[in-house]
Amino acid sequence: MIPTAPFLCVITDEATSPLSLAKAALENGAAMIQLRHKSASGSQLLLWAVEITKICREYGALSIINDRLDIALASGADGVHLGQQDLPAAAARKLLGTSRIIGVSASTPEEALLAQRNGADYIGFGHIYPTSSKEKRFNPLGTETLRKAAALVSLPIIAIGGIDKNNAPLVIGNGASGIAVISAVTRAVDPDMAVKELLVAIQSGERNA
Amino acid sequence: MAANTLHKTPLPRLFLISSGLESAEGGSLLLEQLQHLPSALPCMVQIREKHLDAKSLFLLAQKAVKTSRSKETLIIVNERADIALATGLQGVHLPEKSCPPRHIRSFAPALIIGCSVHSPESARVAEDSGADYLLFGPVFDTPSKRIYGPPQGVHKLADVCRTTSLPVYAVGGVTALNIPQCRESGAWGAAGISIFSPAGDFAENFDQFYRTLYQ
Repeated sequence: MIPTAPFLCVITDEATSPLSLAKAALENGAAMIQLRHKSASGSQLLLWAVEITKICREYGALSIINDRLDIALASGADGVHLGQQDLPAAAARKLLGTSRIIGVSASTPEEALLAQRNGADYIGFGHIYPTSSKEKRFNPLGTETLRKAAALVSLPIIAIGGIDKNNAPLVIGNGASGIAVISAVTRAVDPDMAVKELLVAIQSGERNA
Repeated sequence: MAANTLHKTPLPRLFLISSGLESAEGGSLLLEQLQHLPSALPCMVQIREKHLDAKSLFLLAQKAVKTSRSKETLIIVNERADIALATGLQGVHLPEKSCPPRHIRSFAPALIIGCSVHSPESARVAEDSGADYLLFGPVFDTPSKRIYGPPQGVHKLADVCRTTSLPVYAVGGVTALNIPQCRESGAWGAAGISIFSPAGDFAENFDQFYRTLYQ
């Protein structure tokens, strides 16, 4: 179910409407939407998750819910994305079954390997570059560490953190199966154009890889 | 409407809410209370630790399950039905504005599902959505009232109890002294954080509550 060709995952943020962001991203070719909203109520998250999953189906894309496995289960989303401080992947797998997707955040090749052993379907790896989207406790990992992680695990790696149209080709060239962005789209003057340009950059990275 | 027939035995009348001061390691009040709950007496215990991330809550819930010695103790967790299922808890408590009960029921048919309600209208909505019990408050003035807002009083409690066929727990400033008022208003049971003051004699307090609730 996870695309085999390099793809774009767009993650929602607190400042933008998740639905309009998801629509813009999907219309322009994103293959995965991650609903991430730490301050929204459960009922609001459910409404968004149901709607985003519906639109994702129309576009043949995947809907992933950050942290809230309960919302993923209630909404019928395609999967859940778990950070290191979220539910353990093995526990989530028991509830979600094998047909749905579990992504796990990792910031070292060892964490990536552990996530693979615990049954993840993909690794969210980062942050690769400096980013303002989340407060960070460590320095950017860079593409060298990304390449090491990609060599160590067989799972698809979605690189995240400070990725834009300029550095996306290099990220793909260093072993990422996809890139995930927040601010590169949510803070773009023209989000539609931003998504299109990111996809062009991903494809050029694929050609050069 | 008949959602609570899923659970053959009536729910306990006593509903203990964790302090909000727990950590993933436990070691504070919750695990101590679970150890000291009289094993023959039914009690519902809600893990309500909103500051904890999901991993810490998962670890705490696992410890709570291991620590609990009695089948009469039903452990539930605030909002996260996924954590309840992953750790083998008996239920989930949904604050208002949570994912509605019927959507939780769709993937967790066996969980006890309770709802916080603040009006007869929200009580009706929760019952129609398949809740097993309701929590209404704050009924009285309470030291931790900032969590619940101003006291609503026993008359509003009675309004809610008349509206629903579900068991209603009174929460907020409930003591052994005012439990009879709550029961007269139609409440099924009493819930609270400070029902068992950490400084007090736990067993004695429990006994006093228990006798008042079941007399």
